[in-house]
Amino acid sequence: MKVEQRWLMLASVVAVAATTAALVAAATGGANSGKASGSITVWVDAVRLPVAKLYVKTHPRVKVNVVTYDGDGNGATTMQTKIQLWNRTGKGWPDVVFSEQANDPVWMSQPPFDFALNLKGVFPASLLTGWPAPSLAQCTVNGRLVCLQDNLAQEVLYVNKKLMGQFGYTVPKTWQEWAALGAKVAKEHPGYIIGNIGESFSHWLYLWPDRCPISQVVAPKTVRINSANVQCTRMAQLLDPLIKSGVVPPESVFTPSFAQKYGGDTDKILLMPGPTWYAKDIFGGTLKVPAGEMTAAMPLRWNNEAPTTGQVGGGPWIVSKHSKNVAAAIDFVKFATTSLAVKSKPGALSPGFPSYGPAATVWLKNLNKDPYFAAPPGAAMKAAAALVWKGWSMVTYPDQPVWSTAVVTQLVAGKSLSDQLPALGEGLSNNAKAAGYKVVNK
Amino acid sequence: MSSSAATSEHVEATRTRGLHVPRGLPFVLPYLPFLIVFGIAPTIYALELAFTNVDGSWAGFDNFTRTYDDFRFIPAFKHILVYTVVWLGALMVFVVGLALLLHGRANRVSATYRFLFYIPGALAGAAAVVIWLFMLDPTVSPGAFLLRDLLGANIFAQSIAPGNLPYIFAMIAFWTGAGGWIVVMYGALNTIPPDLEEAARIDGAGPFTIAFRLKLPLIRKWIAYMLILSFALGTQLFVEPEIVQHASFGLVSDTWSTNQLAYQLAFRYADFNGAAAIAVDLLMIGLLGAVVIVTRSGLFRAED
Repeated sequence: MKVEQRWLMLASVVAVAATTAALVAAATGGANSGKASGSITVWVDAVRLPVAKLYVKTHPRVKVNVVTYDGDGNGATTMQTKIQLWNRTGKGWPDVVFSEQANDPVWMSQPPFDFALNLKGVFPASLLTGWPAPSLAQCTVNGRLVCLQDNLAQEVLYVNKKLMGQFGYTVPKTWQEWAALGAKVAKEHPGYIIGNIGESFSHWLYLWPDRCPISQVVAPKTVRINSANVQCTRMAQLLDPLIKSGVVPPESVFTPSFAQKYGGDTDKILLMPGPTWYAKDIFGGTLKVPAGEMTAAMPLRWNNEAPTTGQVGGGPWIVSKHSKNVAAAIDFVKFATTSLAVKSKPGALSPGFPSYGPAATVWLKNLNKDPYFAAPPGAAMKAAAALVWKGWSMVTYPDQPVWSTAVVTQLVAGKSLSDQLPALGEGLSNNAKAAGYKVVNK
Repeated sequence: MSSSAATSEHVEATRTRGLHVPRGLPFVLPYLPFLIVFGIAPTIYALELAFTNVDGSWAGFDNFTRTYDDFRFIPAFKHILVYTVVWLGALMVFVVGLALLLHGRANRVSATYRFLFYIPGALAGAAAVVIWLFMLDPTVSPGAFLLRDLLGANIFAQSIAPGNLPYIFAMIAFWTGAGGWIVVMYGALNTIPPDLEEAARIDGAGPFTIAFRLKLPLIRKWIAYMLILSFALGTQLFVEPEIVQHASFGLVSDTWSTNQLAYQLAFRYADFNGAAAIAVDLLMIGLLGAVVIVTRSGLFRAED
């Protein structure tokens, strides 16, 4: 998954800010050091590197060997190779690993990798209550808590407040209102968009919130994949006319052409469902939408059904079951996920919505103060955190390539989404079976 | 090649052949350790893995049938087949054609063109693909009008539509590899004695007859050599689809080519035995291709 890669850029831009923050934290963060000592090895991606460095600075009694690797999809392959090699040689495992891929802990906790430590009973229980239930559920594999999410990546509806006001539109609350508005936009303001569906994770943006059962683990090593379910087809039918009329183009925000066509220069993004880490990073950075225009609204719901949303990413921390210094490893994860020295401000140390509740509160307060947003986006993000639908399970195989190759390439060629659902289901089933899952329909 | 060996008596020929081994050995000796360590040993290891299970027990052809039944196996081989056919076809026609054309030109002109043809090849593998990523994006490509008019592509995702991929990869491989081969073919053409050409001209042969009836048969072995190397290279395609897959955020399958499938099996599914089976499949295809080309072209025959 590439979704967090642009944080690299952000990280370098705000390197100065990080140094300042580190200095402040050095003065305040010492309180967190606990009794940990000895040495640990920590594998992190470039975005989490400042966090590791800050830990090193504030915890002189722990000798930390920090190793950076690409924590995305490529990194997952690297990590799989490495863990197998360590398992073969019987030594060399790192104590703590960070991954950008929310599904990595699933394979890490099972043979042949069998790497993740059960954090239940090891990690302070009083702190665990700070994580939202869906987040803990996602990290629970076969009854064992095998990871802790660093940040949540719940989806909200991003709104260009300035444009919406200018056109005299009200912000939609349901998918139906959103689609109706899309039809109106196509007629009244062609060229403007209310979302996009060309991402490798667009199925998480549209099918996950509508509770489409195509990645639902119903029993150990048994996954329910049914793309013909009404929860999938009704969303596809809702989207098809919107894709056709161009208000939901099958293009990706990470391509240069997208920024050119819809970004700040032309300013044609009216609405866009997206995860919390889009916020200032994607709209202000990648797409260059000017300050004072964007904000976030509640995720869309289906008619008057109970609201649910999806998630894009939300990287986890994993502790090794081979660790010889679990105390220090836990202390490190505790510091990275819960300490205010790391999690209080949106920025290099904590670009995404912290998953630890008390930290998130402080983080949101700071986010709401950011003058980039036309209105404080925090409330919607906070509310959405508890709405992530739990029926979309993390599995050992990646589903993004299937969505991209089976669906996005066809949408680009002008085909309808409804027609691609069978191929999506088949592709996912094939991958699930290849990964050793039993596939069921109901 | 020495023409004396052909005319000498049988006994003498046997004696010279016997001498070839110790004389040749010093020449290949520096390469031999590398061949063993990086060529032969991994091949033996792959064979061992391909015919055993994870626990090291004998598996027979189980790994082969299992990978054959994999839903990605046939599509990957289909992709590779189309790609290799298109690429080898282009290499044959354009490399030989351009080399023949150049050989008929004045030296200064042909030197300039050889240099121009060679330039794209100076960009090694991955770097060339990265440049092609820009060439294929209609928003930034200098050839945007071609992408729009020929492929009907207005965005990158349309340029790399699944149906275009084998041709796009073949084009990338052609432009990065053809220049080197044109230079090699030109060198091959230079080994043709000028008096042969002269004699043909006196006998009334035009430039076309000279090119196709005289020069082409004489450089047949070089063409065979090019085909063998390219055939093996083509079936082992990896870098191009892998980079385009990453750059397109997954619009190209991560198991597009057979080599990618082997890579995924090994490192995502921890199935080294299955991966080895696919590697052995590729080795067999490469060997088979080489045997066919060698026997058809008489590559190793000392004299025609």
